[in-house]
Formats: sequence, structure tokens, C-alpha cells
Amino acid sequence: MTPFLEGLLRLAWWLVLAPLLPGLINKVKAWVAGRRGPPVLQLYYDLARLWQKQVVMSTLASPGFLIGPAVAWVALAGAVCLVPLGPVGAMLSFHGDALLMLYLLALARFFTAWAALETGSAFEGMGAAREVSYAILAEAAMVAAMLSLSVQTGSVSLVTMLAPSAGPGAALLAAGLFTVLLAENCRVPFDDPNTHLELTMIHEVMVLDHSGPPLAVILHGAAMKLLLFSVLLTEAVLPMGELSPPAATGVLLAGVLGVTIGVGLVESLLARFAFRRVPLLLTTGVLFCLFALLVAWKGGRA
Amino acid sequence: MTPGPLLLTAIVALAAAIVAGLRWPRAWLGLNLLASAAAFGAALSPLLGGPAWEWFGTVTVGGETPHLRVDAVSGIFLVLIAVVGAAGAGYSREYWSDGLHPASAPRSRGWWSGLVLCMVLVTTVSNGLHFLIAWEAFAVCGYFLITLERKRPAARAAGWLYLVASHAGTLGLFAFFSLLAARTGSWDLGPMRENADLAPLVWLVLFGFGVKAGVFGLHIWLPSAHANAPSHVSAIMSGVAIKMGIFGIVRFSGWLPTPTAAGWLVTGLGATGALLGIAFAFAQDDLKRLLAYCSVENIGIILMGVGGAMLAVSQGDAGWGRLALAGALLHVWNHGAFKTLLFLGAGSVLHGTGTRRMSRLGGLWRVMPWTAGFFLLGALAVAGLPPLNGFVSEWLVYLGFFDAVTAKGTSAWVAMPAVLMLALAGALALASFAKAGGMIFLGAPRTPAAARAHECGRWMRGPMLGLAAICLLIGLVPVLFWPMVARAVGAWHPAWNTMEAPAPIATLGSVQAALAGVIVVVAAGLWWRTRANGLRRALTWDCGYATPTARMQYSSGSFAGIGSGWFSLVLRPVRHWRRPRGVLPAGAFRLDRVPDVVLARVLTPMSDLILRCSTAVRRLQHGRLQDYILYVVAGLAVMAVLVSMGGVL
Repeated sequence: MTPFLEGLLRLAWWLVLAPLLPGLINKVKAWVAGRRGPPVLQLYYDLARLWQKQVVMSTLASPGFLIGPAVAWVALAGAVCLVPLGPVGAMLSFHGDALLMLYLLALARFFTAWAALETGSAFEGMGAAREVSYAILAEAAMVAAMLSLSVQTGSVSLVTMLAPSAGPGAALLAAGLFTVLLAENCRVPFDDPNTHLELTMIHEVMVLDHSGPPLAVILHGAAMKLLLFSVLLTEAVLPMGELSPPAATGVLLAGVLGVTIGVGLVESLLARFAFRRVPLLLTTGVLFCLFALLVAWKGGRA
Repeated sequence: MTPGPLLLTAIVALAAAIVAGLRWPRAWLGLNLLASAAAFGAALSPLLGGPAWEWFGTVTVGGETPHLRVDAVSGIFLVLIAVVGAAGAGYSREYWSDGLHPASAPRSRGWWSGLVLCMVLVTTVSNGLHFLIAWEAFAVCGYFLITLERKRPAARAAGWLYLVASHAGTLGLFAFFSLLAARTGSWDLGPMRENADLAPLVWLVLFGFGVKAGVFGLHIWLPSAHANAPSHVSAIMSGVAIKMGIFGIVRFSGWLPTPTAAGWLVTGLGATGALLGIAFAFAQDDLKRLLAYCSVENIGIILMGVGGAMLAVSQGDAGWGRLALAGALLHVWNHGAFKTLLFLGAGSVLHGTGTRRMSRLGGLWRVMPWTAGFFLLGALAVAGLPPLNGFVSEWLVYLGFFDAVTAKGTSAWVAMPAVLMLALAGALALASFAKAGGMIFLGAPRTPAAARAHECGRWMRGPMLGLAAICLLIGLVPVLFWPMVARAVGAWHPAWNTMEAPAPIATLGSVQAALAGVIVVVAAGLWWRTRANGLRRALTWDCGYATPTARMQYSSGSFAGIGSGWFSLVLRPVRHWRRPRGVLPAGAFRLDRVPDVVLARVLTPMSDLILRCSTAVRRLQHGRLQDYILYVVAGLAVMAVLVSMGGVL
């Protein structure tokens, strides 16, 4: 198989599989609540429907309102290209790609916030302000997590960093990364993706004014981001590199499924936090990652 | 061509431009552009692999033989001076034209060329005494440029603060150069790593040049000077002049033996400065103050790289130091390009609306599409986002420090916190520039002034276009610029004199280029799809509210509220408000201001104390002759006692 075709297949895997995750989370929530819930493939139907729809754009918005979602989507698609997929490795891997991945996520954040500010709506300004502010803590946690993986493996390339398990600090790292996953993907207890009370939302309130294909692109990007974080969390904690390829694939799929179910359970069993408690929880996530770093440092020394 | 004739051309052209600027603006511009081209050419020769160029004069100036030197380190800074000097000169033709500012425009041109000339000399002169002369003249030119609008008290105060701070730094440099001359027996400068006696002088270098660079803590002059100067002056001050401080630190940390502690200190100062500088920037409402504090952050990033290199050298030439220093030097260029672009953009906003306060702007993209586009590009670059140039240099610095951590030496203890602070600073920079861009250019105009704005003309657009192209070029093809930076690293520390890239910078470049290409394709695709489906314009939904007003938008203060609240322990915001009262409340307001904490909480109380002491001492000076005679008698008596005691002891 040519590398080009292989890359294309890999990208297709990410792009096609991603919208499954929100459907699974909703199924888990419905199951806990004793409802039937929407079909697992609901997001696919939504995306197909939105892709056909007319766009309504604010009179204040510039072309950046349409370009923003496109750039954010490309940045997320670029980030997933750098994340290794268990036994088949990453599409592209080089010394320092971990940092590029973090900054691609930042690029997506910048353009989501930019597109939100286009409308001049107070609600969307509020969402953008929350998004960029909470991201400060999330970024610190992510870099601390990357540092701990680097210390443990002596590498700054995701493929090598994610191959062994996180060692003695695995539990800490898992807790930290899971907290960041919830915050960055706007899940309960940081944000409620289902609410219709704009005052309490972060991500959803930023995309209030989007419609049609741009909204489809935003929703798909968000699903990709969730998949990226789930894969990252699974691979950081479990020793993917030490298993045989079929076993590693199975473990990866099981891990992603486990994370998804975990998110669904958290969402069913926990209420959204008051906003003043959100930074505290995120700081806890940062501390988990920092302790994982210290444990990795000590473990490397011994 | 050797750098000699080109450098001479540049110096002569700039000297002629000082005179020409008073009368003939076109000739002035031509001479400035010529000088920039010549200086650029002179700098290129050592950067492209030519030997370092040296020249000794035959006549003495001030008792010393002139000595000029252009090597790769000075080349990096000369290129920066040339590019920003040309861009600013072109911009000022419209921005500070004779028509708009008949009184100060001729002066501005003269001082501008003087400033550029002095900076060219500072980077090339290799004699301590002549360096001090050029440095002092450079500071004075800066003062007169900052105070061009001398009728405005704010500009005068800013200029005064700049002059005082600048001279405090120069005092350190006087001490440094004279001690150096005393210990080596000559004013001539050059590599002297073997002379271990000189190591303590590095502290004087750090202080003296640190003030000019705006290292956090010594940056007190920087926000007000950059905010109150005309924008093209702010651009060169922020893009180039503060880099002269970095030049000094890089130059002398390469030439002198450095104690290990200096490396720790510079890295630590850089990392804290990066974080605190951008935290202050986030909280600002004045656009130019925001940009100025952001310069403090970027100087911090550059210092992190330089400090990392110093640490690595003192610990056996570890390879990660090379990466950190290369990142720092590339960041010198990058920051020069995007910060100048942003200040010129800010100037365009100020020119079009008459205000720098972001909470009074909004919706400018409609009337100022060019400025908005350039500002967005600059904002992406300064936030260190791929695929632009800011990311390339920050990535190199990051990678240097990550490698320091994975090497598990003692330097990991400073590298780990430094990386975390850099991450926080990066996220805050993103927040600051999402805020700045969003508040100024997006949404609805918040005041009539913003609604009546107008786009700038082509003389202001041209330089911005050029700088934006540089940001894009370094971002997409960093591999073109790597050899030049590598040569400068080699000139700084001969053991690192190798061309081979320690990081996959070529891969990064192709990824960035591919990213940019895909962005264009996907954006075009989405645009086409949207057009095909039909596009309707309607009022912002705003949860169904039918008559939104511009004042209901999120303002810059509210945007920064959450983030700056976390830093309020350091930022110390000053708040005034009156709550709404009664059934029909009127006159309610809330004002948030974040003054410079070092100036307001440390230096002002200190100078107040000194003033109080001096006032107390001044009571002895009252003009009564009798008392003076008493002082003399008392003084004589004390001396007599001392002399007799001296005999006894």
C-alpha cells in the first residue's frame, strides 16, 4: 500500500469513527436514566442534515465567521494525524510532534473563540472568555502530562512517549488527563452539552449563532477532539507498545470505549459544578499531572 | 561584497538622512531605504557563511582607535534593524506626515534616522568607549522620539520615565565597561572567555542591558513609553530597540566567562517574565499597553533560550542549549516582525478612530479589512500558533527545554518549571490576542468614533504587508532561515559551530506549509458549500433578544475578568464603581485599571521614601549665616577630635 493511501485510510478512520463517541455517551446516559435515548448514529444523521441546510449569518459577522470553523477543523484534523493509533503508529512522527499537537489544539481554540466574537453577542463573548480562560489551566495540565511522559521515556515524540504504560504514576496521570478531557471537551461537570440555559455553557454558547455546514464542521471537529483525548488517555496509561498488534488494537478500542462510558457515567451521576468551583477542579487536574511528573522523575532515578 | 563598503554606505546615508529629514521627506525616505538595504547586505555576508568582518581605523576618536566588527551575532540584529527601520520609515510617511503633524514631523524624521544610525553603531562598534557613546546617543534619540507629542503630559511623563530608567541601566554599563577596561588593560572588545577574573562582570551586563531589554522587574519604563509614543516609534522601540538589550546580553554572555548562577538566573527571570508579562497584557484595556506588556513576555521567552544556552555551556556543552539559543535568536527576528506588524496595526486603528481603548472600539473589520487581516495574522503569530513564525521559534525553545528535562541533569530542575510557565504564557497570549482582535475588529462598533473609522492608505498598508509576508515566510519555510541562525549560534559559542539541524526543522516546515495549504482548501470548500446552500443575513440571535445594542457586547474588561482574577494577587487591579440604586438607576459605573505593579508598589514608594529623607535633610539648608558658621565650627571640632584620636589609635 502506498504511504499516501495508507495516510488517507488512517485519516478516514479518525474522521468516520469520531461522531460515534457522542452517540455512545448519550446511549450510556439514557441507559442509566432508564430511557431509550437517541440512536447511536444520531450525530451522523445530524451532520448529514446540517450539511444540506441553508446558513443564517449575523449581520455583524465577517467572512471570518465561516473561515473560523474551517481552520479549527483543519487544526483538529492535523492534530489527530500526529496521534499514534496503537500498533499502526502515527501518520507522521518527528522529534517534538507532541508540542505541535498541543499548539494545533490551541489554534482550533483561537478560531472557535474568534468566530464566536464575530457575532457581537454577549453570550458568545461570555463563552469565548470562559473557553480561553479555562484553557490556561488545561494547557498547563497537558504540558505537565507531556513532560511526565517525556521524562519516563526520554523522548518528545508521541509514538515513543505513548508506547509504554505510564508506570508508577499511571493512576495519577489517568486522573489528570481525564479531568482535562472533561474540561476541554465541555462535558459535565465543567459544562453541560445538553443544556439550553446559555448562562451556564461554554462551548455550546460559542456556537449559538452557527448553522448549516459550518455548524456541521464544528460538531464534527468537537467529536474528533473527544476521540483524540480518549485515544491519548488510553495510550498514555496502558502499555500499548508491549502487546502484540491484535491485542493492542483490542486494548485501544476497549480503552476508548471505557473512556466513553466513563464520560457517560460521570454525566449521569454528577451535576454541573458552579462556575467558581470549575477552576478548583481544573487545578486539581493540574496537580494530578504534576504529581505524575514527580513520580515519573523519581521512578526514572531509582 | 565585503560588509565594509555596505556598512559605510548605510552609515553615510543615515547621517545624510538626519539632515534631509528636516526639509525633504522624499529624499529622507529614499536615504533610509538605501541605508536599510545596505545594512541588510552587510549583515547577510556573515550570515551566509562569509568570515566575520573586522576593521580598525587609522585616526583615534576620543583617544581610542575605532574598531568595527560584523559577525553572525551582530548580523542577526543588523537584519532586524534594517527591516524594521525601512518598514517604519515608509509607514511614517503617511502616519506622521507633514500635513498631519506640521510641527513634529521634521523632527520625527531626524530623530528616527538618528535612532537607526545609533543602533547600527551599537551592533557593530567593538570598542567599549565608543559603544558607550553610541549607546547614550541611542537612548537620547529614543527619548526625543517618545516625546514627539510634547504637548501631551502623558507623553512627557512617559519620556521622563524612559530617560531615568535608561540612565539607570547606562550607569551599570559605565561600571561594566570601565571595570572591563581596567581588568583587561584595553577598551577593545572581543572574545575573552579564558580570563576567569571577568566572570563577576556578567551581573553588571545583566542589569545594564536588562533595563533596556525590559526584563520583568526592570521593565517599568516600557508600558507607558510604548503606549504614548507615536505608533511607528512604538513599533521600532518594541521590535528593535529593546532587542539592543538582548544584543548586549547575547554578545557579552558569549564573550565573557559566565558563572553557572547567571544561567540559572537568566532562565528563571525569563520564564517568570514571560508569564507575568502576558498576565499584565491580558488585563489591559489600552491596546498599545497590551502590546507593550506582550513585549515583556517575548523578551522573557528570548531570555529563557539565552539562559538555557548559558546553563548548557556551563554543564559541558549539552546539545539542548544549541536548540534553546537558536530558538531565542530566531525569536528575536520573529518578535521583531510580528510585534512591529501589530504596533503598525494599532497605529492604523488609532489613526482611523482616535482611540487606543479597546472597550471603545469594535466592528472595525468592515471599514478596515486590511488592518483587520494583518492584525489577525500578527495575533496568530504572537500567540505562537502554527503555521506561522512564532510557533517555529517557541517550538525550538520548548524542545531545548524538553531535551534538558529528558537528559535528567541538574538543569532539569529549572527546565521543568520553565516549560510549565511557558505553557501558561502561551495559553494567556492566545487569550490576550483573541480578546484584542475580537474587541477591536469584531462585533458592533461600541462608540461613534469606532463607527466613523476609516482604513489607512497604501503607505501604511505596504509596510504591514511586507511584515506579514515575513511572518508567513519564516513560518512556512523555516529551513531557509535555519543556516543563518545556526551560524549565529556558532559565533556565540565556537563549540556549537555546526550547520546540522538538531531538530527536524525541515519536517516542521513542510507540515506547516501543508497545514496552510489544507486550511485554504477547506476554507474555500466550506465557503463554496455555504454559498451553494444559500446564505441569509439576520440579526445576531442572542437568545431571541430583538433589539441588541452595541453596549451589551462583552467588553475587554469582562473578557479578561476570569483570567485576570486568578492573577489578581500579582496584578493588583484598581477598581472604582458605583452600584445602580433606586427604581430608575442612573450614574452607575465600574472602572477597572491595572497599573504597573512594580512601578506603583515598589519603585514609587521607594522614591517617595528617598524624597521624604531628602526633604528632612533639606531643613538644614535654610540660608541663616549664623547656623552655617556653627556647622563649620562643629565640623572643624569633629575633625580635630578625629585627628587627635587618629594619633592615639
